Amino acid sequence: MGDENRKILVVGGGISGITAAIEAAEAGAEVTLIERNPYLGGRVTQLNQYFPKLCPPTCGLEINFRRIKQNPKISVYTLAEIESLSGSPGNYQAVLKLNPRYVNDNCTCCGKCSEVCETQIPNPVNYGMDTMPAAYLPHAMAFPFKYVLDPGIVGTEEARKCLDACKYNAIDLDMQPASLNLNVGSVVWATGWDPYEVEKVDYLGFGKYPDVITSVMFERLSAYNGPTGGKIIRPSDGKPVQSIALVQCAGSRDENHLAYCSGICCLASLKHATYLREKNPDSKVYMFYIDIRAMGKYEDFYVKVQSDENVVLTKSKIARVSIDRESGQMLVEGEDIGRSEKVKQLVDLVVLAVGMKPGTASCKPSLDMDYDDFGFVTGSGSSGLIPAGCVKAPMEVAASLQDSTAAALKAISTAMGR
Amino acid sequence: METKIPFLEVSDAIVMSGAETLYWCMQCGLCTGTCPWRLVPGEASEQFNVRLVQRMGQLGLEGFESENCLFACTTCRACVDRCPRGVDIIGNIRGMRAMLAEVGTIPPSLKPIAGSLHSQGNPWSGPREKRTEWTEGLDVPAFSADTEYLLFVCCTSCYDIRSRKIAKAVVTSLRAAGISFGIVGAEESCCGESIRKIGDEALFSKLAESNINLYNGKGVKKIIVTSPHCLYTFNNEYPELGGEYEVYHYTEILAQAAAEGKISLSGKMAGEVVMHDPCYLGRHNDIYDAPRNLITSIPGADIKELARNRKNSVCCGGGGGRVWMETKAGERFAELRITEAIESGAKTLVTSCPYCITMLEDSCNVMGKQSELKVMDLSELVAENL
Repeated sequence: MGDENRKILVVGGGISGITAAIEAAEAGAEVTLIERNPYLGGRVTQLNQYFPKLCPPTCGLEINFRRIKQNPKISVYTLAEIESLSGSPGNYQAVLKLNPRYVNDNCTCCGKCSEVCETQIPNPVNYGMDTMPAAYLPHAMAFPFKYVLDPGIVGTEEARKCLDACKYNAIDLDMQPASLNLNVGSVVWATGWDPYEVEKVDYLGFGKYPDVITSVMFERLSAYNGPTGGKIIRPSDGKPVQSIALVQCAGSRDENHLAYCSGICCLASLKHATYLREKNPDSKVYMFYIDIRAMGKYEDFYVKVQSDENVVLTKSKIARVSIDRESGQMLVEGEDIGRSEKVKQLVDLVVLAVGMKPGTASCKPSLDMDYDDFGFVTGSGSSGLIPAGCVKAPMEVAASLQDSTAAALKAISTAMGR
Repeated sequence: METKIPFLEVSDAIVMSGAETLYWCMQCGLCTGTCPWRLVPGEASEQFNVRLVQRMGQLGLEGFESENCLFACTTCRACVDRCPRGVDIIGNIRGMRAMLAEVGTIPPSLKPIAGSLHSQGNPWSGPREKRTEWTEGLDVPAFSADTEYLLFVCCTSCYDIRSRKIAKAVVTSLRAAGISFGIVGAEESCCGESIRKIGDEALFSKLAESNINLYNGKGVKKIIVTSPHCLYTFNNEYPELGGEYEVYHYTEILAQAAAEGKISLSGKMAGEVVMHDPCYLGRHNDIYDAPRNLITSIPGADIKELARNRKNSVCCGGGGGRVWMETKAGERFAELRITEAIESGAKTLVTSCPYCITMLEDSCNVMGKQSELKVMDLSELVAENL
């Protein structure tokens, strides 16, 4: 079989999908990378810093975006979904649905459409912690670097105002959903993960108290491009946060919720401790855990964070989060296992370390793969689809990169019929 | 920290006594943090740490045996519902108590209870022949082959003067709903729920087997109970001993009758009513809606909820044998419930468990709140509105 058969479809434009697509394309395959959001980067886009080096993810993403732009063998479709998928290894037929962006390639990101748009919508990149105009650039480093019109305003006066404001004929309100047929030799399934719906752990108070947020929200609250410009303040009253409780296993390792350990949350929370400590030297961090699971080389990071005397680590599975009427602070309660005493800690903000649910728990491909009880892919099954990244197991970015590079090789050999 | 040597023969014996899931525990402490004892001050609150008790059990260590430690557990099930490993914490507590009960070292306050159960078949030191004294003037039919349901009245409502009103109200209400029921009477014994939780397995078996022989002999198929504790035992502990019955709490029967229009309620005594979910009706038997539906079927009844309701309900303090143990005023869970009920603005607190009534009413009186809040069994509210 020749090169023309080496066509690969990668589903999911997060860090795993991006990596699989680039690695396969740089080895010579022709790759179509599709993403449901209007931008690539997935959950990584929403991180403030990577552990353990504490460098910003935008740096690595930018390098990857450049590799994509420079490589004619990669076609990227955002706002794209799989409408149907059939076939077998070496020969798959995919029908894609391409949702309208209402903005074409003329867009220079001047932002005039956004300026005139008065309709505000929740900002999904910031987990709804703020709003943005319904004509928007998803985030400052978005790729493709193009605005988007929320379908909710199309057909209204708002959309017309945006159209009139655009000097470059970049807005096209007549865009319709389009269909695209693809014939490919292999399919990589990299649809990532979702944070656990921690409101189900009702005693932890998420959804009930504004000053109880999730770990993924705390990434945004700490990020310079987040809803507060990187100021760690309380959602309830905007006061600077002096103390936080990092509540581990918020639903994880729990048969009533997620029975498994997501493996990354301890490291993420230790990282969160550094976010607050760095921005506010007078701050205090209280982390409550069942066990600190900092495996392998990550032990060093754990030891480093632990050495800060203003980071207090307590073995305790938190049993109650409530509001202290007197101080307006959050009261975190449980048992301090080491001392067999009560934990009663007042803090400004509670951050719940939420586990990872595979994207395949809620949305599975129409072709059969093998799954475990939680929706993680355990094998390609009869379909031959190639899973990559967090659909297989909870993993951090470094492990996702390794896994997707392996997936790229598998995709090339499958597409070549070997 | 002092080094302790595990005594694994002891922990094996605890497991053999029924603490089958003792080793599932990973010592996260969610149970201890969830335990209602954390909500009150006092000796039991300081001494009873359910996570630590299980740890000591795992290691076979001594020191958990006292009335205010191992015997503080009210078996309210709040921790079991949340346990991330599905540990049968109540089973473990029961197993640890059983090991003590076998050698006769249960707390002194519980010994007369066991004695009375042995000799009279009830924990209240009431003579067996007076089990049906509460029926005076009511003409309650005896159970026979023609009766659909056996009405099993909790020992508390057979002997305790206050609680007898519940038995009477249940009879009045069931009759008004046209339910075919009858009682067995003096031959009957305590269901054994609480004594098993106290750890006396042998006594439980004796009581249960005697009831099962009696009921099977009389052809009992369906049972209505007045207490959710009896409901738990009949449903969960009698089948393996050969007693398989369809068992209903009276609120289920009356709610059904009300839904079908078989009982007409006047609403003359209705008003704002707040409900306390008994642990054994709610968390143990998963019945939350029947009592609420029954309340709302009373015309004019306005149901309010306590801040902690349904599966988050807080125990009255009477389960697991605690109803017979002294808890000092100021350290009682029931006081929390009375305070919450008064905060709800309702004038009437209803519940549907004789232990809850005992505990709540006592605290209401001790707190001097009886003029602000009336504590009633739901059967009494129904009977008053007939």
